[in-house]
Amino acid sequence: MSGLPGAVPHRLTGRRVETAAPLDIGGTGRGTAEAVCFLRECQGRGLRVTWRATGTPGYDPGILHHLPPPAELPASLALLEAWRADHAHGILYHRRGPDFVTVLDRRERGTAVRLTLDHPRLVAAFLRLLEPTPVAALDPAEREALGLLTAERLVLATGGWAVTLPPRLRQWPVPCTAI
Amino acid sequence: MRVHLVTMPWHPLDLPSLQLGLLNRIVREARPGDEVTEFHGSLRWAEFLLERSGGRLRPADCVEVGSDAIFHGLGDWVFSGALYDDPGWGLARLRDYASGRGVPVETAVAMRPYAAPFVDACATEVLAAEPDVVGFTTTFMQNVPSLALARELKRRRPGLTIVLGGSNCDGPMGHALHRNHPFVDHVVRGEAEHAFPALLHHLDARTGPADVPGLCWWDGPVSRANPETRRTVPPADIPSPDYDQWQAALDASPVQEHIHPKLVVEGARGCWWGEKHHCTFCGLNGSAMAFRAKPGERLWAEIDRLVRRHRILDVVTVDNIIDMAYFRDFLPRVAASGWDLRLHYEVKSNLTPAQLRLLGDSGTVHIQPGIESLGSRVLDLMDKGVTGARNVRTLRECENHALTCSWNLLYGFPGESADDYTPVIDQLPALVHLQPPSGAHRIQLERFSPHFTDPGLGFGKRRPAQMYQHVYDLPEDELGDLVYLFDTEDAGIAGPVEQRLTDAVAAWRAGHAHSRLLFEEAGAELLVHERRHGRPPGTHRFAGWRAAALRGLEDGRTVPALHRLLTADGHGMAVQELTDWVRQAFALGLLFRDGATYVSLPTWGEPVRLPEGGR
Repeated sequence: MSGLPGAVPHRLTGRRVETAAPLDIGGTGRGTAEAVCFLRECQGRGLRVTWRATGTPGYDPGILHHLPPPAELPASLALLEAWRADHAHGILYHRRGPDFVTVLDRRERGTAVRLTLDHPRLVAAFLRLLEPTPVAALDPAEREALGLLTAERLVLATGGWAVTLPPRLRQWPVPCTAI
Repeated sequence: MRVHLVTMPWHPLDLPSLQLGLLNRIVREARPGDEVTEFHGSLRWAEFLLERSGGRLRPADCVEVGSDAIFHGLGDWVFSGALYDDPGWGLARLRDYASGRGVPVETAVAMRPYAAPFVDACATEVLAAEPDVVGFTTTFMQNVPSLALARELKRRRPGLTIVLGGSNCDGPMGHALHRNHPFVDHVVRGEAEHAFPALLHHLDARTGPADVPGLCWWDGPVSRANPETRRTVPPADIPSPDYDQWQAALDASPVQEHIHPKLVVEGARGCWWGEKHHCTFCGLNGSAMAFRAKPGERLWAEIDRLVRRHRILDVVTVDNIIDMAYFRDFLPRVAASGWDLRLHYEVKSNLTPAQLRLLGDSGTVHIQPGIESLGSRVLDLMDKGVTGARNVRTLRECENHALTCSWNLLYGFPGESADDYTPVIDQLPALVHLQPPSGAHRIQLERFSPHFTDPGLGFGKRRPAQMYQHVYDLPEDELGDLVYLFDTEDAGIAGPVEQRLTDAVAAWRAGHAHSRLLFEEAGAELLVHERRHGRPPGTHRFAGWRAAALRGLEDGRTVPALHRLLTADGHGMAVQELTDWVRQAFALGLLFRDGATYVSLPTWGEPVRLPEGGR
């Protein structure tokens, strides 16, 4: 057991992960949410993941640039190059405190946005959506929270599914002050 | 009474002032009727520079001048012009000093014109609080900024009482600060927990403070210095800091967008190692070496309260050495919290792998283990109490547990020779996969260190460090009492071996990012993947007693001790056979040799490695 989400077939060797099949990032439903969740967890564990992408994102693809870029992205070479140029380890992550979550977001080059989520409903929605979830399954309060989290680009909501984007850091990089 | 507490530049912008946080509590607990307010002058300075320079001088520039340039006095120099009413004061001497040493000073020079108007603005703001007493805390380069403001406050309101305290006031430094600056009414030398409330009591009652231990006060035109107490403050009397006013100042500040705020806590004062074996170069504990620690449960309760109150998960401890009891009664509590804390701690280098794992599990991922050297004889000379082999093990375990390890390689100890360094320098290329030191630095002579207090140890000739010439307009004998750092004649290595050492450390730093030496267990085989800078990549394969030997040397052993271990485990080989194999493994750079002791160098862990400072 790798401890990684089982929805995406993969092989773990040492600190390297390889996915068995291309991951759909088109954003048309559950598959994209599960791919994002999988890549997010790899990132949080500091694993090096090799994967191929299919689909053309029907959303702002920059929202995923904290995740490791795919080896192939047949839909758009420009998109792949932008992803490679923007990506760096730890440019988006979350940490948990006693009754709050902090997020550091450096996806926009030259900025470092620190967010503290401390409203109980917002924290609960953020944590719940770590698991890919159908938007239709959310109650009105959760949908309101989803709107706020989406506006802050902390959740990807597309194709009727929602998933939290910032990984929880399971291991600090060296030096830990670099992020 | 109204007590106004002040921390001037260059207090780090990302940290609350522990000193103000403690003094605030101390005064309120001892004197509930007093009103205590705070002025976070360092934060205000960063705001002032941002605004007045139109965004040209930024918080990062404050780090460059105020923190990175501590050994060149740049931060103090910026404010010397304000203290001495001369915007050009010391500029030529600074330029002379800097050009001889290659020190960049343009940022400090660009800041200088803002210092006097800033001090003026500070005085207006402080006096608006209508204080009876203004208390400054001063550490590192806070002396001149504090003196400049103190002087202006006294000029505008002569009846105001000015008090200085903090590390810069310890021992003779405090008396020199007092007698050379008549606008400073009192200097509290040593710990303030008891002395500061006692002084406030005297001020309130208009009685003489001759009974306050360590206090400096004016007896007419004469500066008096009460004898310092040898009694240290027990942990039960050290309060938990109050950072509410810092938080309010930060929340209202545009600077907060530029920084990553952290909490500061204090678990212990003094040094339990230094009580018995004072490291010869270290003056950090000043005149209070006695080690005193809060119980781990209490330290955790303080962190719990501060984290919940400020919603900050980064915690810096100021302890000069971790209390070993914290491995039982503090760190397990931190680990059990389940919070994603990130802590910084100074530790001793001889921690076990289990202790280092607990540090990692608790989020204490940034450590400063006081490694100082990888040569056992040099470590003996400095009375460090660890061996080179032990230090290399610590560096390797930091890699295994993804701990960030800050350390310096120090040299220049009296009695050391090239022979102490050559075997270590020869082996540095084999260590390139382990975290390098910040650099190789010649030790400085620090007040309170054994090197300072005992000239017979090798630094007989000393004078106040050259940098103070562009900081203070004071005669040398007064500087001799006032300052912390001294220039001396070089001791220990010099010339070619010094050059080889600094070059080898530079090569280590340059080659580290892409270097790995990794263990992997593959069935009955033990693999070592070679990916170090300067060596051909490949995989070494070991099995049987050879694999067991490589594992056995993770703890550091001599060949005879290794032979006993392997024999006890049922492996059969002759001592000569083992000796030959150790020689081969050493030649491959898989082992570090310290005298007769060998240490395995491959790591099991492979942390994510990033460039310093991120993107």
